[in-house]
Amino acid sequence: MPTWEEKLADRMDPQLAAEIDKFETEITLRKQGKLDEKVFAETRLRRGCYGQRYDNGHRHDGIRTQELHYNSDLTKGPETLWDAPGMQRIKIPFGGLNPDQMDVLADLAEEYADGVLHVTTRQDIQYHFVHIEDTPTIMRRLAAVGITTREACGNSIRNVTACPLAGVCNTETFDVIPYAKTTAMFMLGHPDAQNFGRKFKIAFSGCRQEACALVNMHDLGAIAATRVENGKVRRGFEVYVGGGLGAVPHNAKLFEEFLPEEELLPTTQAISRVFARLGEKKQRDRARLKFLIAKLGIEEFKKLVLEERKTLQPDPRWTEYLEGVQQYADKPLKPPTFLNGQKRPEGFDAWYATNVYRQKQAGYVVASITLPLGDLSSWQMRELAKLARRFSGDSVRTTVEQNIVLRWVSETDLPDLYRELTRIGLSAPGAGTIVDVTACPGTDTCKLGISSSRGLAGELRTRLAAKSFMLDEAVKNLRIKISGCFNSCGQHHIADLGFYGMSINVGNRKVPHFQVVLGGKWQDNAGAYGLPLVRVPSKRIPEVIDRVTDRYVRERTANESFQDFLKRVGKKDLRAMLEDLTQIPPYEVDPSFYSDWGDPREYTIGDMGVGECAGEVISVAQFALAAADGLVFQAQLHLEAGDFPSADQNAYRAMLQAALSLVRAQWPEAPDEADSTIQEFRQRFFETNIWGDRYAGNKFAQYLFIRHASPPSNHSDDHAHRVVEEAQLFVDAVYRGHEILAERGAR
Amino acid sequence: MELSRFGLKLFVTDPAAMQGKNFVPIFHSWIQKQAVEKHQLIDVHDYSHIYHGPGILLVGHEGNFSTEMGEGLPGLVYFRKQPAGSFEETLRASLKAVLQAAALIEAEPGLEGRIRLRRDEFLFISNDRLLAPNNVESFEVIKPALVKVFGANATLTAVKMATRDRLTIRISGVAF
Repeated sequence: MPTWEEKLADRMDPQLAAEIDKFETEITLRKQGKLDEKVFAETRLRRGCYGQRYDNGHRHDGIRTQELHYNSDLTKGPETLWDAPGMQRIKIPFGGLNPDQMDVLADLAEEYADGVLHVTTRQDIQYHFVHIEDTPTIMRRLAAVGITTREACGNSIRNVTACPLAGVCNTETFDVIPYAKTTAMFMLGHPDAQNFGRKFKIAFSGCRQEACALVNMHDLGAIAATRVENGKVRRGFEVYVGGGLGAVPHNAKLFEEFLPEEELLPTTQAISRVFARLGEKKQRDRARLKFLIAKLGIEEFKKLVLEERKTLQPDPRWTEYLEGVQQYADKPLKPPTFLNGQKRPEGFDAWYATNVYRQKQAGYVVASITLPLGDLSSWQMRELAKLARRFSGDSVRTTVEQNIVLRWVSETDLPDLYRELTRIGLSAPGAGTIVDVTACPGTDTCKLGISSSRGLAGELRTRLAAKSFMLDEAVKNLRIKISGCFNSCGQHHIADLGFYGMSINVGNRKVPHFQVVLGGKWQDNAGAYGLPLVRVPSKRIPEVIDRVTDRYVRERTANESFQDFLKRVGKKDLRAMLEDLTQIPPYEVDPSFYSDWGDPREYTIGDMGVGECAGEVISVAQFALAAADGLVFQAQLHLEAGDFPSADQNAYRAMLQAALSLVRAQWPEAPDEADSTIQEFRQRFFETNIWGDRYAGNKFAQYLFIRHASPPSNHSDDHAHRVVEEAQLFVDAVYRGHEILAERGAR
Repeated sequence: MELSRFGLKLFVTDPAAMQGKNFVPIFHSWIQKQAVEKHQLIDVHDYSHIYHGPGILLVGHEGNFSTEMGEGLPGLVYFRKQPAGSFEETLRASLKAVLQAAALIEAEPGLEGRIRLRRDEFLFISNDRLLAPNNVESFEVIKPALVKVFGANATLTAVKMATRDRLTIRISGVAF
């Protein structure tokens, strides 16, 4: 019986095949103990093989922590057991798929995962519950249809994303796909992109005003632009650098108003070199490009890049693809037609209103397939591939809103397409509306998840879909995005209504919470980031949505945007409106608050004991923490009012107060004095690593230390915004610090 | 053929009784008790929002259990992931596991006996397109082991599907 390797040998790109062979060898070496676990961890990450929750061999089952027994003690990384199921991320550059690829993706999910394909917020596809030893075969079968997992994770250039409407969009300057595709291939495995301290994300957008590519939150974002020179229209890009979400979001900075198309690849290469050379390597939490640019300033960074550009050896690949870009176009499967008096199936009109986009090419439309939580089954994916072959051809895209779109559908085919989508359970309306909730994997599978983002998203989706026909138009167009922790994989910062997960101790138990982040801007390529308002128990988040949206409908002035409405009402008032929702009934009164959405286990993020002494310490500490919370909120109000010095000062004081609460948990008489608090906090919690977050390390402490050591000389919106965000995260982390103290006290 | 990736499906007698969400706490309780022999049960996933998807999924190291809604009728499906010896031995171990899971479901107090799973008909689903693709040759190769495990009275019928789909064999006329 031939192996997949033998069977597919002549269908794989030789470079990809060699890469996979190399990885398979590394698997063998690791099994023989000849490759260090940390080295193997990075090597598998660079092939998209990620760890998954409970892969350390421990899982709390709601009653106790169970040890998971596998056949071997071998590890695939620190505290990551070999046999524990993991996640496989698959790069889909610009989200582009054809039906053959869809078939293979469906088959692999069935054979090696759990039969489900998950579309991510970066247009990737992910499988869960994959065994590490199956990954080379998965990679070979993908390579045979032109898909790679290389550099899907790890400190590398991640999936290059682009607007799913590129080429058919009514407002684009030109089709960015040939550029996105070439950039993805040119930088894949490029020697200049192998020594990064952290990941690097690239996005392409056809126009500035839409949301599609979210350029503003990328390390490198390119917006199509043209310029007339000597009577000729010249193509190029408005280039932004140093954007990013994560714990503290940074707006990308304008690097070049018009970068000619021939300079796109060499400039990307030069930026990569500067990032590899000067980017932080040791402190992972300060290693993204955004921190380097914040440190150097955009002008200095640009100067270094331009100097680097001059040193590059010319590469024919920089320009040879440009010959064909003007002619690049999808080939429609069918001639254009228009909907006329055809009989429309039941439900068609509602679906048409939200899920159909009329292309700039008359007679053609883009049909959005709304995927609940970004999921579809292998069967659905195969059926969708059949529909693509019948209705749209090769031009299928995944989207950053975790959906799939079929492009170039001839309009008269829409009723038939709708009937077929209904048959396979994929005709839900509401694409791009408030019902179309985006969420990261959260506690379902992510090792860093704190609250159940998918559980909450599923609940909100069900509730909102049930009343969608009654929702005001202004509310329908809002976006909800949910992250299971502060790391923002669910992109909560750019949602109208964003949420990120956290845990709070109540007595001797934990309660899943979400921080409410309001006012982010999805449009204008992620034009603005929202700010945290208040943390609310998970089970009360639906009420938050109801109250905020009801009030928006009731009180908004004509055509007032959600962001403008929030500004006008003000954080103080908004917070007061939600204050009662922060209350948590005692466990004995309502235990439902003590478990998360979709998970009947009593909520925990670790193995926590119960101790009366700890309880007492915590109640004192919570008093101090409440003061810190208040200061962060004051800082937000100052920020909102444009008083940046006061915002900075309050944020700083909030961090000091929170740190003092921890110090006083051990030394109740500790003086309320900045230097002393810093010194005691450093000695007792930072240097001892007592407080270090399991995954984030001591990064939150650095926020306090840096602000204490270097007060700002000039106050700016950007700086104040960042310090306020950092203060919020620091205070959140101090809550966790008190939990650690309680656990230690109990032991 | 050392096939170790395959599924066995049992159908419910009353499809209306199969309310997927009920299985979330049930499967969690199985993990608490590690209720299935020779299985390391790991986690539960609610995929009930996916049409014709895995429903509620109980992930195990050796194999996954789920309240699958596909193939026309709801039921309990077990997908084996790890070998337990030869194909025949793995098949035998899988049958044992899915029958134990069926018995646990039927005895589940929360379900009050509403769910009954048929033991006179099974689906065998090859989950390996290399070792056992959807063709007559694979069917012939697999047949002897199925007869040995399910008994000489078992009627085996290949369920006609597109080549792309997995080889699926209906096993009827049996009693467990």
